[in-house]
Amino acid sequence: MTTLDIVMVIVRVSISAFVPLCFLAVCVTMERRVAGFVQDRSGPNRAGIYGFRAGGLVQNLADGIKLAFKEDIISEHVEHKFLYVLAPIISMAAAIISFALIPFADTLVLDGKAYVMQGIPWDTGILWFLAVTGFSVYGIILAGWSSTNKYSLLGALRSASQVISYEIPMGLAVISLLIVYGSINLSDIARFQGQNWLGFIPMWGIFLQPLAAVIFIVAAFAECNRTPFDLAEGESELVAGFHLEYSAMKFAVFFMGEYVAMFASSAVIVTLFFGGYNIPFFSTDFLIRNIKPVAFVMLVILPVFMFYFAKWIRRNNRSQYPRENDPREAEATVYIRCFWILIGVIEVFLLAILAFAQPDTAAAHLLVALMQICTFLLKVTLMLFVYVWVRWTIPRFRYDQLQILGWQKLLPLALLNIFVTGAIVVALG
Amino acid sequence: MYIDTLFSIFALTAVAGSLGLVLFRHPMRSALCLAVTMISLAGIYALLSAKLIFLLQLIVYAGAVTALIVFIIMFLNLREKDLPEENERFTYFIGGAVVLIPVAWFMIKVMKSIPEVKNSIVGNGFGSIKEVGQMLFTNWLVPFEIISLLLLVTLIGAVVLAGIRRESND
Repeated sequence: MTTLDIVMVIVRVSISAFVPLCFLAVCVTMERRVAGFVQDRSGPNRAGIYGFRAGGLVQNLADGIKLAFKEDIISEHVEHKFLYVLAPIISMAAAIISFALIPFADTLVLDGKAYVMQGIPWDTGILWFLAVTGFSVYGIILAGWSSTNKYSLLGALRSASQVISYEIPMGLAVISLLIVYGSINLSDIARFQGQNWLGFIPMWGIFLQPLAAVIFIVAAFAECNRTPFDLAEGESELVAGFHLEYSAMKFAVFFMGEYVAMFASSAVIVTLFFGGYNIPFFSTDFLIRNIKPVAFVMLVILPVFMFYFAKWIRRNNRSQYPRENDPREAEATVYIRCFWILIGVIEVFLLAILAFAQPDTAAAHLLVALMQICTFLLKVTLMLFVYVWVRWTIPRFRYDQLQILGWQKLLPLALLNIFVTGAIVVALG
Repeated sequence: MYIDTLFSIFALTAVAGSLGLVLFRHPMRSALCLAVTMISLAGIYALLSAKLIFLLQLIVYAGAVTALIVFIIMFLNLREKDLPEENERFTYFIGGAVVLIPVAWFMIKVMKSIPEVKNSIVGNGFGSIKEVGQMLFTNWLVPFEIISLLLLVTLIGAVVLAGIRRESND
């Protein structure tokens, strides 16, 4: 192994392990801000460091510190303390490793060597995701059972049976997709979606398999125990569900695991149905061959984008009532300056590429990989927004409605989809 | 080299898990030990370059079957006091061990007679999903179809049994 190999292993593993954790902050902030927007209030806008509130991000820091320093209570009546502590660890670990096989950029070629841009460069793709999300059931069951509390037990029962029953339509929806893509490898699937159909429609899963997309997305919502399927923590009936007895950091680990699982499943949805890391209409080869025009376009677009972004910050970051020397305006000025400095640094790099880089060199490959990572994360963020949006829009299902939806609607639809897809693929040869 | 180390780790956890399965009194602990054994077996399959079987082991046995067992134990809230008394447990253990000695002796003898082979990852897509699938649908088509018929029969049987119980409950 050369030094480059080792560096690439470290880079890929840290991206696939730390990006979901960093996106926790994004998810939680987005959840709170969107909840505020939907309910016609401001959301978190008080917590700040010297007046810097970072659009609500500092609230997460405050919550994290609070949870870390709270007293960690294990009630007397908990008989199986080991299993009780093990449960949050299982749900967090399962959530993090389910992201390990998702490609976040096209295969990177450096020094004539190809590096598959996944945490674990393995070709078993979607099966790994199904296997690992299956383990998260253990976390739920153990938490609910070892708490020795009837609310926890009921929550765990609901949640576990929901996860187990929605795994089936999910797996069947995946099968019809695999018939279309002809591969189980998520990198191959993402590359397939980089092609264009009739020259102008990207061959994304959502266009090729709309029914499978709907089934998979609904099942993914249920797997994450998100509204409208969050009966496991129906507050009005079960207090909080399976994590009722957990306090302090153990609760925080459950909470984080839930959001990491949400991130991983949005990443899978994006990879299967929304073209993964592909920038629409531009294949990786095209970008690498035309690196100079691409760098030039980025050079022009970024300041324009930043100009409007600065205006947006200016418009939204001010006091609700007229104030003299509004501190929030000063805060906004600081943010805008920071962003302009960041844009400036990126512009310098782009200029260097424009001036020196040749097509098909390491610099070109790296730039394209970075652009694809940004595209991937942008798509995942949009999908996370859909999760949050649905949560604050749709009311909760009743439990029998949930099971009827899973077994009597989604399952036959998924089976039908497999037959229709198979017939069409065979007919078209 | 590291394959041998990994093999020892997986083998030891598999044996420890199955010992725990038998020795723990509490059903939940036994079931979780079963899960540990299943996962370590999956690791051993992965070392044998059987990727597909590794994943199926994780999905079906560790993910679904054992999870269902754990779920049922939670559902019925089984405790140690719900189980029958087993006063002669250790007598049975010792008796079973004595009976197994000749078998174990035979197995050790067989193991020793196998020539030593260097552990390595088999290449050429051996054990990958595509290879196994092509093998199944060309050389082993008839057995594959017969087994799928068997699965269909069990599926229908399960549905019929569940239907009968619902009628008698009404």
